[in-house]
Amino acid sequence: MSFLDSPAILETEGISFSYGKESAFIENLSFTIGQGEFIGLLGANGSGKSTLLKLGSGILKPQSGEIMLWGKPFRSYKDRDRAKLISFLPQALDFSIPFTVRELVGMGIYPYDIPPLIGIDDALDMVGLGHLGDSHISDLSGGERRRAFIAMTLLQGAGLLLLDEPLANLDIKYQIELVRLLRRLRDERNISVVMALHDINVALRFEKVMVIKGGRILGIGSPAAVLTRPVIMEAFDVLVDIKNAGERDAYISFEENY
Amino acid sequence: MKARMTIIIVVAVMIFCFSVVAGPHVINPFALDETSKEILFYIRVPRSIVAVLMGMALGASGAVLQGMLRNPLADPYILGISSGAALAAAVGILGGFSFLGTFTVPALSFAGAIITGSIVGIMAWKKGGLWPERLLLAGVGLSFLFSALLMLLMSLSSDDGLRKAMLWIFGDLSMSDWSKIPYGCFFVATGILVATMRAKALNALILGDEFAHSLGFAPHRERVLLFVSVALMTAASVSLGGMIGFIGLLVPHIVRFFLGSDSRLLIPAAALSGGALLCIADLISRTVMPPMELPAGVITAIIGAPYFLYLLRGKNVLSR
Repeated sequence: MSFLDSPAILETEGISFSYGKESAFIENLSFTIGQGEFIGLLGANGSGKSTLLKLGSGILKPQSGEIMLWGKPFRSYKDRDRAKLISFLPQALDFSIPFTVRELVGMGIYPYDIPPLIGIDDALDMVGLGHLGDSHISDLSGGERRRAFIAMTLLQGAGLLLLDEPLANLDIKYQIELVRLLRRLRDERNISVVMALHDINVALRFEKVMVIKGGRILGIGSPAAVLTRPVIMEAFDVLVDIKNAGERDAYISFEENY
Repeated sequence: MKARMTIIIVVAVMIFCFSVVAGPHVINPFALDETSKEILFYIRVPRSIVAVLMGMALGASGAVLQGMLRNPLADPYILGISSGAALAAAVGILGGFSFLGTFTVPALSFAGAIITGSIVGIMAWKKGGLWPERLLLAGVGLSFLFSALLMLLMSLSSDDGLRKAMLWIFGDLSMSDWSKIPYGCFFVATGILVATMRAKALNALILGDEFAHSLGFAPHRERVLLFVSVALMTAASVSLGGMIGFIGLLVPHIVRFFLGSDSRLLIPAAALSGGALLCIADLISRTVMPPMELPAGVITAIIGAPYFLYLLRGKNVLSR
């Protein structure tokens, strides 16, 4: 898995991880994320998507194996320096205290002592929230909240975005908008994006997908190569039918009672 | 925001100066006679300083706790620290202890607060860190236990000690003198300083531990620091003059209306506003019916709550 045409940003080498004392949830897993890659991490509930993203962001630490960030061991980075390189979006944020959008976006500069390269207003404009800076985050729609978070990562300057189910609870239109926004930022700034997904039809629109189940990788590569009938059936435990309506436009229908 | 912060500072200083000269005996600071000097330096100034310190501690620790526990209804008394302090103070008052002179009750209540804070911290500790839900539940649990013990103690006591204990619990500033100020200053200033220095981490923690981690903060380490700062401030505040309601819960919300939720501004602003509010409340409490004094905690709520409700009308704070 190292035939990359771009420099590796994050590499895992045989990492294993378990919650508590039971047998390893993730065992001897190796993969590489290259600069500028746009990866969909696909798997059913409980397949290990979140665990993998948390290992990649350093929230969880592998019991064995090594994670390399820009070619250096993860452990060798201070928390603050790591925060300049990786940004992780949790599945849910807490909004019990009413922060404004501007206050949230401004947190992106916390890892730095110097003023940011781009201002809060620029970042808001880049994600299309220029008019909502003074609104409370709790008053925004789900899609707007995620865009506000993405604006924050622009100030944070992180080259790798790890997003845990950013498309959850969004209508299809907003899902497409958010993916398009992230892809545009990737094109402009050469960042890498990895997002957990569970919608197979959305995964088809990615350049690269990684399918996992039970903490194992079932396949990495282009959707056409990876999202085959047997892989999807194994990953999701359902009977599926893949219909091609053109070169890249496939859609997948599901049947119950596997 | 800077302009608004400046206004808060100026108003707080003005209120402090006014509270020192105003009262049943009005003092002209430009023509001091001997009596006025005595009143000013031995009664008014220390009393106003104690009021400011207590109010500052409550406002700041309320702002920190609401964020740290991610609960807009949190206040410094929710951690049970004040109940422990009240119980210890009541033991001192009802038992008639005086091994440290006038300092006995403050010392006892400070010790009670610190011991309770430690128990809460230990009970909230799991898997190498303090957890917000555990802090809240351990605090509420201990609070009930100590309140029950306090009521038990009071129901078994004689009338004379009882009134003194009740006054203390409602917040009594009449015993303020210079002796309490150095230690009060030390703990309140330390608490506010630590909390303000960790304000960025607090902002990130409010949104979630994983979010804070992503911005380069170690959530559990930050929470320990913030908890210690809140415990010190609350302990100092309660031991200086008992329990004062309203400030810790609602002053942070009022300040958020004006300055937003950024803890870097919120913590110092809530401290100043809390100090100023308690200063006014104390001025009113000793002026309206002299020589009788009303409990300052009652006044803070009577003037603060309607103002808060007025502000709440046009806002959609706390909305999700």
